[in-house]
Amino acid sequence: MKEAFLLLASGDAETWATVLRSLRFSFLSTLFALVPGIPAGVALGDRDFRGRRGLIAVVNALMALPTVVIGLFVYSLISRSGPLGFMSLMYEPGGVIFGQAFLAFPIVVSTTQAGLSKLDPRFRETIVTLGAGPWRRLVSTLFEARAVLVAAVVATFGRVTGEVGVSMMLGGNIRGTTRTMTTTIALDYNKGEFDRAVSLGLVLLVIALVVNLALHALAAHED
Amino acid sequence: MKTEGLWSCRDLELRYAARGGRAGGARGRGRAAGHGRPLPPAAFLAEAFDIGEGECLALVGPNGSGKTTFLKALNGLLAPRAGSLLFLGEPVTASAELRRRSVYLHQSPYILAGSVSYNVLYGARARGLGSAEAQVRARAALALLGLGDFGHRHSRALSGGEAQRVALARALASGADILLLDEPTASADSASANLVLAALRARRDAGDTIVFSTHDPDLAEALATRTIRLRDGRIQGE
Repeated sequence: MKEAFLLLASGDAETWATVLRSLRFSFLSTLFALVPGIPAGVALGDRDFRGRRGLIAVVNALMALPTVVIGLFVYSLISRSGPLGFMSLMYEPGGVIFGQAFLAFPIVVSTTQAGLSKLDPRFRETIVTLGAGPWRRLVSTLFEARAVLVAAVVATFGRVTGEVGVSMMLGGNIRGTTRTMTTTIALDYNKGEFDRAVSLGLVLLVIALVVNLALHALAAHED
Repeated sequence: MKTEGLWSCRDLELRYAARGGRAGGARGRGRAAGHGRPLPPAAFLAEAFDIGEGECLALVGPNGSGKTTFLKALNGLLAPRAGSLLFLGEPVTASAELRRRSVYLHQSPYILAGSVSYNVLYGARARGLGSAEAQVRARAALALLGLGDFGHRHSRALSGGEAQRVALARALASGADILLLDEPTASADSASANLVLAALRARRDAGDTIVFSTHDPDLAEALATRTIRLRDGRIQGE
């Protein structure tokens, strides 16, 4: 444990490069998941249409899928013989980010949908009766549900930072390129080298703590 | 007083609108219309009924008599289950003119997260008013309702009566000339109720159309030019 702390405290270049790479992947994959995920969550949470419940069930089921299954599915898309094989994403940072965005998408959709469903029904009636057009309604809804949306972002970021299956399968755990905190921990564990694994585990623990504190702070702020 | 007809309803049947709102929203309609599920019993029935421009109509009746349901339907927030409810010849749920000219106020109004100013300006900006004009209208509406110093106060810091006045100020600032008000003085103390009454009288005298529900016979007497008695979802008489 002491060596693990020393690795972090001494500013070990490879350890911190791995941390920063992981955070970059998580940030970008969360961002790419938010772009389609929030409108999809708004559509599911703010409107009623035939098949809505079925779609919500599908999204919730996708959230429960093991990351290796998502990795396998995305592999079939981006492998050389897959429909997106021409993008050469396999074993590249782009492949990890693409896969993590797939993992993150249902989390964003579900969190947004659940949050909007909890908005007071008078809210929608109020903005409609005040004459707000579709665009103003959308902006007002997102603003009113901003705490939920921020919570969705934070939870999604935490989830993709801690995943290992997608990064391992699509990134190949290549040193200096696609190696993330979690794949490093898996590799070092297999090699019996625990110092870096524990140090990265500590970083993940801190990230998980920060994510949870942020969520609690948001909840407290809303109360 | 102008007398052109605004609304006309024939053989109208409405389903119950939960106080506060969900049943009257699009979601409730979609489920009812699109999924083939059994509908709850109709809550409001009216064979023939018209409301003219410039009228100040009071809806009086006990709890559950259908006042809220009728007001929401008049605003197009609730689609008829059967029959017709038209605004200037168009179905209320499809009338852009109704949306442009009218505003509905919940008995327990929803105040948007933010300051009082944000809320009151919202009503004006949502209807496309420029920033300067919206500011003028918002200030005037707040002053009219004794809320001149409330601009920076957060919506969470309002009492029930204050929230009701803020919501009325928001409705007035929106420039709507048709006000549909669900018990507009329900949470008000006597001083606030007097401010609300004075504001509504001024709008009535300026030719606006007002339809409001109330349990307060004094308010109906003081404001209304016409009173309808409702009971168990039916019009009992005028």
